[in-house]
Amino acid sequence: MQALLAVSRLIDRMNEHIGRAVYWLVLAAVLLSAGNAIVRKIFSVSSNAYLEAQWYLFSAVFLLCAGYTLLRNEHVRIDILVGKLSARAQAWVDIFGTVLFLLPMATLIMWLSWPYFVRAYTQNEISGSAGGLTIWPARLLLPVGFALLVLQGVSELIKRVAFVTGRGPDPIVRHDPAEAERALAEEIRKIAEGKV
Amino acid sequence: MDFIAQNMAPIMFAGLVVFLLLGYPVAFALAANGIFFGLLGIQLGLLEPSLFQALPERLWGVMSNDTLLAVPFFTFMGLILERSGMAEDLLDTIGQFFGPVRGGLAFAVIFVGALLAATTGVVAASVISMGLISLPIMLRYGYDRRFATGVIAASGTLAQIIPPSLVLIIMADQLGRSVGDMYAGAFIPGIALAGLYAVYAGGVALFKPRWSPALPLEARRLREPSGSSGTPSVFVVVVLATIAAVLFDRFYYVPHYPDAALDERLVLAAGAGGGFALASAIVNKVFKLGLLSRLAEQVVFVLIPPLALIFLVLGTIFLGWATPTEGGAMGATGALVMALARGRLSLRLTRQAMDATAKLSTFVVFILVGARVFSLSFYGVNGHVWVEHLLTSLPGGQLGFLIVVNILIFLLAFFLDFFELSFIVVPLIGPVADKLGIDLIWFGVLLGVNMQTSFMHPPFGFALFYLRSVAPAHEYMDKLTGKRMAPVTTGQIYWGAIPFVIIQVIMVGLLIAFPQMSLVYKSDQPTIDIDKVKIEIPADEPARAGEQEDLMKQLGQPPAAPDKGAEEPKKSPEEEQQDDLMKQLQKK
Repeated sequence: MQALLAVSRLIDRMNEHIGRAVYWLVLAAVLLSAGNAIVRKIFSVSSNAYLEAQWYLFSAVFLLCAGYTLLRNEHVRIDILVGKLSARAQAWVDIFGTVLFLLPMATLIMWLSWPYFVRAYTQNEISGSAGGLTIWPARLLLPVGFALLVLQGVSELIKRVAFVTGRGPDPIVRHDPAEAERALAEEIRKIAEGKV
Repeated sequence: MDFIAQNMAPIMFAGLVVFLLLGYPVAFALAANGIFFGLLGIQLGLLEPSLFQALPERLWGVMSNDTLLAVPFFTFMGLILERSGMAEDLLDTIGQFFGPVRGGLAFAVIFVGALLAATTGVVAASVISMGLISLPIMLRYGYDRRFATGVIAASGTLAQIIPPSLVLIIMADQLGRSVGDMYAGAFIPGIALAGLYAVYAGGVALFKPRWSPALPLEARRLREPSGSSGTPSVFVVVVLATIAAVLFDRFYYVPHYPDAALDERLVLAAGAGGGFALASAIVNKVFKLGLLSRLAEQVVFVLIPPLALIFLVLGTIFLGWATPTEGGAMGATGALVMALARGRLSLRLTRQAMDATAKLSTFVVFILVGARVFSLSFYGVNGHVWVEHLLTSLPGGQLGFLIVVNILIFLLAFFLDFFELSFIVVPLIGPVADKLGIDLIWFGVLLGVNMQTSFMHPPFGFALFYLRSVAPAHEYMDKLTGKRMAPVTTGQIYWGAIPFVIIQVIMVGLLIAFPQMSLVYKSDQPTIDIDKVKIEIPADEPARAGEQEDLMKQLGQPPAAPDKGAEEPKKSPEEEQQDDLMKQLQKK
């Protein structure tokens, strides 16, 4: 079990780093998109490459952050029933869900999207629109993103099994939904008091 | 087995409910449901064994969907904006302006709520700012607690329906309509809703004067040294700015660009008027002319940042300079610049905003991914036919359908948030609405107004929850007056929301009765839609609004670069849009 928990910690650290690196692409996409609109208006130059690069960037964000988001337990749940259960019962729900829902689904998509990437790569496909980008880097995001998701699923599974067998701490990141709001409220209060 | 094969669609739907209620993340439960029943269907011979081969292509369609880019853009913009201090300045100054009349603070909250809603679409920020800035003042001067909390929670949710809101973008995407049309269709209902809130606040001020007293003299900080209020000066500025706007339009813009469309002229004239007001306030301040009152000067200065952002986001969209997605990026860039100018942009804030944006957009897109996997199997077993049959067999035709669907959404909104509703429920009912001859823009706006209530109804409504987190929960000492103040109870917040939920339901009814409120989008379709169509099919030349000949040529030929991710089903709505447009043009 200790070896497995070490693996889990390794996966967690990896997805944490990937998530923190990849979120910069949000800013890149914002600036690229705004820049493209301005340049197109003022200098009348535009290329489909810019339009495509925007969704390449965003695809990188949501696919590569899928594992990171799972690590932070931010994939939204309907927890009107489960929220009332004990921590142990919630861990069991997650074990059940990971084994029966997450892992099969993510593995299947990873499996199917690999040949989809390989085809684009070997034939060096280029997007159909004028000035379009090479397709395979974006296709590669699919199997990679879902692989990261599978790995994170395995890590979450290990942590929960360790918990229900009494060999680890309660791993569920509980969002006190009020917490983020409290932080925001605190900052706004500071702004307001600085002024009023 | 036979029974299962015959009733696959209802069983699959029931399975979905069970899967979702288990409390595992929605995205994965949806996808797993699709895969489980897909495999079952293949076993029973209902589905082709190659069914899942279509999955990568479907995911590619999600990736290459430009509209979804608006989700991170607007989220990021909202997160930067909420810490920029803009809302606080607005509430403070506009409160001073409206404060001297009875019910004035309530009007200020509604006005600022609508203004913030038009810059970005984040409910939490508006509610929290109002709860922190306006609520204490309202309580200090004796506002009724229920009324005060209700008006704050409701005004905060206006962000959901006044463009540019994420709800409308996603609704447009799911219903296969253009975002520009959805914005145009939501405009009047959004303003009307804010108007209804104001009417209610006015009624309270008239009939229950003790619920919303005027600010006493000592609370009006922006008075002139002479003691006068400075209010007439504000009206003078407004009138002069309006005159400047009209003059600009009449004597400059129209002579130079005779074919300019109405909305183009409106946006630019508003810009000219705003510029005039700003210039006069600056001149007055710099040269200490004293022609404008302090209040007027202050009002102009606080209104300029949000108006500039509205121009960046909505103005550029309606002028055809930017697509709705790009409008989001422009707004986000504008918010960054503004936060920087106010010295509030730090590396920490930027990282926080990017982190939150990445996680939020990931879970949103993954719900869509799950929904696509689900629909692959669900449509495969003819689930859509089952739903359609279920809904078209309702008595009362269009009206019956609208009423049932709205009640359904109203009830579901207690449990599901609007992303889940839009990705799971809307694709099922949208085609049925279309078949019944219901205009999908109208339908989308209607659902948007309806879902907005989900932020307000006790006990789960998020706006109430945000407000609870900032309203005083314990007895406290008012800093200014030194009086002991009673806490705001949760019960008061809940009761306060009820009148506004009722107003919301009335609005849904009004919108069903008067579809024209949304259908006006058609009257100015040639401008908005031309841009949309042209930009969606990226042509080499940038789009120029109002040149219909050009468009006719374009439409006559197959689109220059259809692309958009291989054989995505996205195409058909685009084609429909063009058909719509052709009809519009022929009518002209």
